[in-house]
Amino acid sequence: MRLKHIFTDFFILMALTTNISFIVNPNPYELVITVSANLAATLLKIGESKVLSTELMTSSLVADLHLIPALFIYFMGNHEEAISLAYGAAAANIVSVILAIIRTVLSTFAEEE
Amino acid sequence: MGRKVKKRIRIRKKKEETLADIYERKLIEALKELRVPALMLHFVLTTGTLGYMLLSDGDFIDAFYMTVITIGTIGFGEVAEGSDTPVGRMFTSLLALSGIGIFTTSVTMVVRLFFKEDIINLFRTLRMLREIENLKGHYIVCGYNRTSAWLVNMLKKRKIEFVVIEADERALKYIQDHQIKYFIIEDPYKKHVLKAGGIERAKGMIVNLQDDAKNIAVIATARLLRPDKDEFLIYSFASTEGTAQKLEELGANKALVPDRLLASRLASYIFHPESAYISSLFDRLAFGEESDIDIMEIRIFEGSPLAGKRLMDLDLRKNMKVSVIAVRKADGKLEVGITGMTQIEEGDTLIMFGEHKNLRKAKKFLESKVEA
Repeated sequence: MRLKHIFTDFFILMALTTNISFIVNPNPYELVITVSANLAATLLKIGESKVLSTELMTSSLVADLHLIPALFIYFMGNHEEAISLAYGAAAANIVSVILAIIRTVLSTFAEEE
Repeated sequence: MGRKVKKRIRIRKKKEETLADIYERKLIEALKELRVPALMLHFVLTTGTLGYMLLSDGDFIDAFYMTVITIGTIGFGEVAEGSDTPVGRMFTSLLALSGIGIFTTSVTMVVRLFFKEDIINLFRTLRMLREIENLKGHYIVCGYNRTSAWLVNMLKKRKIEFVVIEADERALKYIQDHQIKYFIIEDPYKKHVLKAGGIERAKGMIVNLQDDAKNIAVIATARLLRPDKDEFLIYSFASTEGTAQKLEELGANKALVPDRLLASRLASYIFHPESAYISSLFDRLAFGEESDIDIMEIRIFEGSPLAGKRLMDLDLRKNMKVSVIAVRKADGKLEVGITGMTQIEEGDTLIMFGEHKNLRKAKKFLESKVEA
């Protein structure tokens, strides 16, 4: 069991699920939790040098750059704009999850070899 | 009957690690250390913000601000709604107790990483290594001391690109003071370091490590990478004549003994006191100290269309404003009685005298003739 992988994958998934839950039911708490989960997922990817890990980092940064403005826009009162930004972040988070799955499959093959 | 299972074994050739890869790894390792303090700080900020949001009925801006001023020990007061209630004060106390420690620890760790681990310098080095990858026809100067400092100064004047490789980190200060554009602080006898210095594309190398054993190690490594003496020039310093000979046998194009060189230069002044100006002029020309005029050699290779022509046919003096002052024959004999009738032969080396720009023009002209 790899603790680091558990943490990273947990936050990658958490970023996507909280993101979707904010889109479905927009409220300030959901949004803050989404931003927090996304930032944690990004921070956990700092210092990874493998190709897929850098792609994961990139997609996470994209999600952050959607959600942080969304957070401020939401509290400025423009809820629609914040939700549309959250859709963009969700797309980036889906890419993150797909990449995480590919990474897991590849590392499983590498272990078997 | 059991099925035979063939196990495919893939043998992957390990990619040779470059110096840029090593520095990139160092940078990634340094950045990795940012994770824990950043995550700690992130956790406290999230907890504080969510807590104050619950107390203030979802006011994010005030909640975030209240968290920052609490853990940052600013404490402007209870700005978030609900923070002045008993529950709010209890929450603030708990946040302050845990958050202040985490905040100061995280900030200290981040500052230490940036200054002690020298992340900025690692970035700069990486950028410089990428720039070195674009150099071509440059020189590599191994070892940075006073002699090397004089040498690179002359190279700079001639706008010749060079990379300094020095193992001693104490030299870094001087290298930066002398505004050396490209330098690598690593042992120059390592293959990947010489490769990072662009040895595969360089024109030559100067080995000046003040230690014969180290000079030998560098020359041997360099010759493994660039075996052709004509394509890649190696000039080295040696402590004795014997060592100089060994270095030349090992691969150096020329090994110089500094003491002997200095003595010869002084002797030339003693031997020619009546023609001190000319001695000095040739000396300055030979050592590249004359800023406007220079001497240049051009070799006439086998099969060159210039072979068989007379100097008057080329009329370099009139066309290019340069003079052929001597011709070194293939057997090494120097011919100084040059006239327009002198015939150029295969294997000759024309020694031309003139201004820099004219010499460059003449070289271009003669080379274009060869190519044509």
